Amino acid sequence: MRLEMGNFHVKDIVFGDTLSYSNGVLTVNKEELLNYVKEEEPGIITADLRIVRPGDKVRLCPVKEAIEMRCKVSGKSTGIFPGVTSPMAQAGDGRTHALKGCSLIVVGEHMGGFQDGVIDMAGKYQDNTIFGDMVNLVFVADTNEDFERFEQQKKNKALRWGGMKLAEYIGQCVKDLEPEDMEVFDLPPVTERSAEVNALPGVVYVLQPQTQMETMGYNTLIYGWDGNHMLPTFMHPNELLDGCMVSGSFMPTSSKISTYEFAVNPMVKKLMEQHGKTINFLGVIMSTLNVKMNEKDRCAKMLALMASNLGAVGAVVAEEGYGNPDVDYTAALVELEKIGIKTVGISDEATGRDGGSQPLVSMNPMTDALVSTGNVSQLYELEPMEVIGELEALARDGNSGGWEGSIHEDGSVTMENNGMFCCNHISGFSKKTCADF
Amino acid sequence: MTKKAIHYINQFFGQVGGEEAADSKPIFHSELVGCSNMLNQMMPDVEVTHTIVCGDNYVTNHTDVALEEILGWLEKQEFDLFFAGPAFMAGRYGVGCGLVCKAVKERFDVPVITSMNEENPGVEQFKTEAYVFQGGRKATFMKDDMEKMAAFAQKIVKGEDLKPAAEEGYFPRGVRFEIPHPEGTMAADRVIDMLVKKLNGEKFLSELVIPKMDKIPPAPAVKDLSKMKIALVSSSGVVPVENPDRIQSASATKWGKYDISKLDKLPQGVFKTIHAGFDPAAMCAVPDRGIPVDAMRFWEKEGKFGKLHDYFYVTVGTGTTQAYAAKFGREIAADLKEAGVDAVVLTST
Repeated sequence: MRLEMGNFHVKDIVFGDTLSYSNGVLTVNKEELLNYVKEEEPGIITADLRIVRPGDKVRLCPVKEAIEMRCKVSGKSTGIFPGVTSPMAQAGDGRTHALKGCSLIVVGEHMGGFQDGVIDMAGKYQDNTIFGDMVNLVFVADTNEDFERFEQQKKNKALRWGGMKLAEYIGQCVKDLEPEDMEVFDLPPVTERSAEVNALPGVVYVLQPQTQMETMGYNTLIYGWDGNHMLPTFMHPNELLDGCMVSGSFMPTSSKISTYEFAVNPMVKKLMEQHGKTINFLGVIMSTLNVKMNEKDRCAKMLALMASNLGAVGAVVAEEGYGNPDVDYTAALVELEKIGIKTVGISDEATGRDGGSQPLVSMNPMTDALVSTGNVSQLYELEPMEVIGELEALARDGNSGGWEGSIHEDGSVTMENNGMFCCNHISGFSKKTCADF
Repeated sequence: MTKKAIHYINQFFGQVGGEEAADSKPIFHSELVGCSNMLNQMMPDVEVTHTIVCGDNYVTNHTDVALEEILGWLEKQEFDLFFAGPAFMAGRYGVGCGLVCKAVKERFDVPVITSMNEENPGVEQFKTEAYVFQGGRKATFMKDDMEKMAAFAQKIVKGEDLKPAAEEGYFPRGVRFEIPHPEGTMAADRVIDMLVKKLNGEKFLSELVIPKMDKIPPAPAVKDLSKMKIALVSSSGVVPVENPDRIQSASATKWGKYDISKLDKLPQGVFKTIHAGFDPAAMCAVPDRGIPVDAMRFWEKEGKFGKLHDYFYVTVGTGTTQAYAAKFGREIAADLKEAGVDAVVLTST
């Protein structure tokens, strides 16, 4: 399957009369976009758009989602999120155009929740999220979803869907333009590879997206399907790069993978890059995270056998989450190792405020190659900044990294890593690790 | 601004004598003795004000008395840092340094710095209690070992960023924290590097080395259930609706104990769950599904077991660290033992 990703490198976003892209500048018409999104998502009652740039002393809170603005030019799918905002179709072939180096960020105007986060565009924590280092169009809005207004766990449906639709609407402005550069992702079926490639060690990427919520509407979606209802499934990496996954609205945000990262997945890209050089990248095993022990066990055993049947001798396992899902993570690594598949795991740790706690809930000495992307319990001290959204949401609405007293009178903040938006970047973007002290 | 430090050494380095003086009691010098002078000269921003000299046998054989004397004297001193050793491979000296460092840390909460060779038994025993620097095998390493201790103390007093244990040169203290990756390498690149090395049978360095686990032996099985007093303990977050102890919904640092002596079940609206790790609707509707008082009363009436303990114990499991969980476990267990509870039903979510 061959996917052409036509890139447009955005240097700046500005407001103007006509939605357009030219010479690195994305121009958006605020009124047009707000009218569009309100019509598409009638649940949205108030909305605004802001532009934030790296170095702006601005704090975004509560952040609910980040999305790359794209459009589908050709291929089986007609939209950038098939099965979600466009009819079900296979993702990963044809041509997709993307506005690179920027994102659309969805922020709650007032209400946050357990799963939402903070992004700082300047200061000590600017580099903690990739979004602090890119120009962002910020969609900040409130909805009439009163059933969950005061709930700690929020589906954030209108805002998340509004964000996806805006990202695609804006992305359309480069549909007919010539891309500035093109990435080609062309990985043939596993049985149709050259002898040289077949001689290289076969490797699978095992992704464990967050799918633990039993109630529907919160979990990561795969082609619009709630991952809670899945068993391990073999997929082509292009499907991920072309928007088959939509991030959920559940669990502490620092361990989440945003929709942006599911599609701009650096781990998939690095594996593709190594394909034919150091490895034979067989493809993606999309697994799940579950709450029941027998479900965890079933998935771990099935994914290991799937890897083995594909002829894998190596596997990268990524866990979107921490705590309870560490059990699924370690189980997957152990089941793979048991049948002789060499694993590397990528996830974050929870070592507690004093650093003295067991970093993963479940540990096994067989997992001897782990990459650590951050510590959810790390305390962060944030300087005061102008806020887009409502900072109180961090302290008031049960955010996983905030608490009553998190926000100080001068606007400075004490919080846990837990509440910084996708900052442990389990997708592979993280430039953090953990060490013994 | 200069900070003050006090230095602990043994009878040999304190010039009292060798093995024959190992039982000597603590001596407190306001004129620096022996290697304390060298240590003092190594630190522009730290002044070593006193040397404490104590016999290795005295501090290891009469620990309580020795520590009482030392801590009692320290109460009257002003100091910001505490040093002990270096102890090289000398076992009793190492343990002595460890004992004193641990006690000083607990009482005065100041940085405590010592140094031992990796083969010194004091390392294993005290590396989580103090900064134990990796030292040489014998006294010829005195200068090298003290330089490491001194350089680290300088960093502390100047408020510089302290690097991971391996970089600073002390034995890991059993704590882990987040740091920027030293080379600024993206995690995906680190995965590829580790994967290719592992596939090729080359050496690689895991970023998280899985330590050995604490194995807690299970308690012996109950003999006669019909006579047993049983308690309910839970991480379900079910509490009285007003959450009187303000237990956190995630990353709990507290547990609560609530009276059920007059209840046959936990009524909706009187109890609820505050747990943020799952959809609370079902458990708020029937709090007994978190803490099964109803089922336990049923079996109590049937005579299946002796008595349900008058209180249940509860915290929130989600995000709660192992350190806190273990602390809760110890505290709750002590309370249960005192109340004569024989067995526990532990419900989780």
